[in-house]
Amino acid sequence: MATRDAVLGYGAAGAVFLALWEAAPRLGWVDERLLPPFSDVAAALGAMAATATFWQQVQLTLLETLTAFAIALPLGALLGVLVQESRLASLIFKPLIFFVFSIPKSIFLPIFILILGIAFWQKVAFGVFSTVFIVMMTTFSAVESVREDQLRVARSLDASTMQKILFVYLPSMTPVLLEAVRVAMIFNFTGILLAEMYASREGIGNAIGVWGLGFQIKELLAMVLFVSVLAIGFNEAIRYVEAKCEHWRN
Amino acid sequence: MAYDQSVTQVPRGRDASAGMSLETKARICRYAIIAAVIAAWEIVPRLGLVPRLFLPSLSSTLAVLAAQSGDFAIQMLVTLQEVAMALVFACGFGILFGLWVGSTLTVRKALLPVVSALFAVPLVVLYPLFTAWFGIGSASKVVFASVYGLLPTVLGTAAGAQTIDRQLTQAARSMGATRLQQILWVTLPASVPTVLASFRLGGALVIVGVVVAEMMMSSAGIGFLLSKYRTQLNSPGVFAAIILILALAIGFDLAVQAIERRWTAGGGRNKAARRPADMS
Amino acid sequence: MPRMTEAAASIRKRHGSPMSLVGPDHPAADAGKTLEVRDLDHTYSVNGKTTQALKDIAFDVSAGRFLSIVGPSGCGKSSLLMMLAGLLTPSEGVIAVGGRPLTKPDPTRVGVVFQDASLFPWLTARRNVEFPLFLRGVDKALRREKAEEALALVGLERFADSLPHELSGGMKQRVSIARGLVQDPPILLMDEPFAALDEQTRITMGDELLRIWEKARKTIVFVTHGLSEAIYLSDEVLVLSGRPGRILDRVVIDLPRPRSLDMMAQPRFAELREAIWHMIKA
Repeated sequence: MATRDAVLGYGAAGAVFLALWEAAPRLGWVDERLLPPFSDVAAALGAMAATATFWQQVQLTLLETLTAFAIALPLGALLGVLVQESRLASLIFKPLIFFVFSIPKSIFLPIFILILGIAFWQKVAFGVFSTVFIVMMTTFSAVESVREDQLRVARSLDASTMQKILFVYLPSMTPVLLEAVRVAMIFNFTGILLAEMYASREGIGNAIGVWGLGFQIKELLAMVLFVSVLAIGFNEAIRYVEAKCEHWRN
Repeated sequence: MAYDQSVTQVPRGRDASAGMSLETKARICRYAIIAAVIAAWEIVPRLGLVPRLFLPSLSSTLAVLAAQSGDFAIQMLVTLQEVAMALVFACGFGILFGLWVGSTLTVRKALLPVVSALFAVPLVVLYPLFTAWFGIGSASKVVFASVYGLLPTVLGTAAGAQTIDRQLTQAARSMGATRLQQILWVTLPASVPTVLASFRLGGALVIVGVVVAEMMMSSAGIGFLLSKYRTQLNSPGVFAAIILILALAIGFDLAVQAIERRWTAGGGRNKAARRPADMS
Repeated sequence: MPRMTEAAASIRKRHGSPMSLVGPDHPAADAGKTLEVRDLDHTYSVNGKTTQALKDIAFDVSAGRFLSIVGPSGCGKSSLLMMLAGLLTPSEGVIAVGGRPLTKPDPTRVGVVFQDASLFPWLTARRNVEFPLFLRGVDKALRREKAEEALALVGLERFADSLPHELSGGMKQRVSIARGLVQDPPILLMDEPFAALDEQTRITMGDELLRIWEKARKTIVFVTHGLSEAIYLSDEVLVLSGRPGRILDRVVIDLPRPRSLDMMAQPRFAELREAIWHMIKA
């Protein structure tokens, strides 16, 4: 039911959006140089996808993104569990972490460049920095989501530690952990792209920035389209798994 | 597994011996950490443990802040103007739209999945497009920050609007309230906590949006100054600008929080909407 | 309104005996009928599936009576109350209050008290009570006076300036009752008003309600799923069947007034409870 509504929603919204995008420049509502019609942009994307440069840029950006993610996710989860596990550590660090979480991270980007230059690891480091706090925050709620009453039942049944992990902790925490993966990826990808746009010689973000300066709007939009599809695709894939989990949980 | 102990067990013995609660101890520790960070910021660069380019001492940063205060103030004013305009667009439109989406079932069902999907798109990639469209003046910043703050504001408001107690509207109806009276005296006051929470979230994003846009490409604003100092390798300038931006972001947050507290003290509810924003 | 008088007559005829226990010899029979419900049916459809919620509902309530409506959960007793409040339009049938049909909410004729008190959390107790008058544009001084009267009636004059979250569950319901009574309607409808309260508060609130009722001389229609509560409070209990809800019987509670808790231990109380329980169970 909900899925069908969602699909209908996407379909309708997507169709209206693309139709408007195509029609507006074609009918002369907007300047074609400022907004090329969708078909032109799609064609440009096709042409770009045939070049090796495109895939080199994509590959680099994805490598940075995944490296940062592979560091931030376990690091954030580990720190999150460590802090949540100890009452004293929670009391000391949580307000600090909440605070750091709530302040804008992007403005620290120049410091990363001052220290690390504009190489691969600077982007990864900034990606980790943008992501690790949200992972910690989600980990807190993941651990908190383990219900005390369920744990008590497990203890009263004399469940082993392994059984408690498998049958109480994991099922309770899975949805929150998936949510963490999903939201963390949004932060992470944004951080990497921003770092590339801000100061870089390569990567998707850099390419978009350069095209913007050179008024190559067709190419720019093609890349925006590509990035959006990539981001939405990942996001919806995780949401699909989340929905599946909800099913077996209930 | 150590979790189960963390929830239930408090090391009372140690507390008692220390003569203070765990909370107090934690607070002291926290202040000590903050003090240590501030002290380290001053001492570590002075001792030459870290190059001054990476970390200028706190005093040299503050000195730059004081010396260039006129410059900072002028640029801050540009940023504030852009933030104010973007706030009107992002929060004004976002909150109204969110209230509509949240309180109308069919619209919610159709639009919410789309809006949450769009949430995943890293919007920074749109900024070069906006500079191509609107130039590198204030307009592109305002547009970018509005777009940047809009979706989360809509989502937050819609989620909050859903939790508005339908019982209250029904009660008002039983007292013969007209549709207009219901909206004015029930729906609006009931959505104040939601609106404030969304304003807080949207405002934080608008500030980030404006500053990031200024950092990337512009000729004015505090973010512009930050980038200029970076290219000049003027680390104290970079840190001073960061301090100012943080002050702006935190100041805004505290101000809205104060309003929220006044409202909740005045009997508002809707705690769900007051949870820490999940994006900033 | 000759038609309604006819209707009332037909109701009396139809339910005179043996369904209704309000016979001509009953003291209430000659009092004016405050509330009349005639030939009421209700169906609703969800996703194209039609459900009959209420069927052949017809009854009347004399002025000043305390009537409870009980029935198994899902029998439509709350829907019926919403219809009496003018909040829900029945598919068929007429509801009349004071001889005039009721088609939309009219707080001067019918006051409503909801299950969860439904106070506006941003308004003080007094302002909550004033709210119905405010909606009608009554001037400030009169509003205040009326609200204070109503709050005094429920014994909360000292808490006029408190906000709902500062009040206990029982106090919130008393504010809600004051709000229902502030325009002095002849009828007060109550939808499981004490369901969310703990046992002890529920009993105290029951006594409190009876005190208010005696003093204000209102007709009360009280929906509940607590049989003991219904018997303890009421003059009559209307028993509804499971879906579609029909009137199974109208039981006169012949326990003397004022009621007291020890009556619950009397054999007559148990008898009445047993009788109603059997009807619902069947």
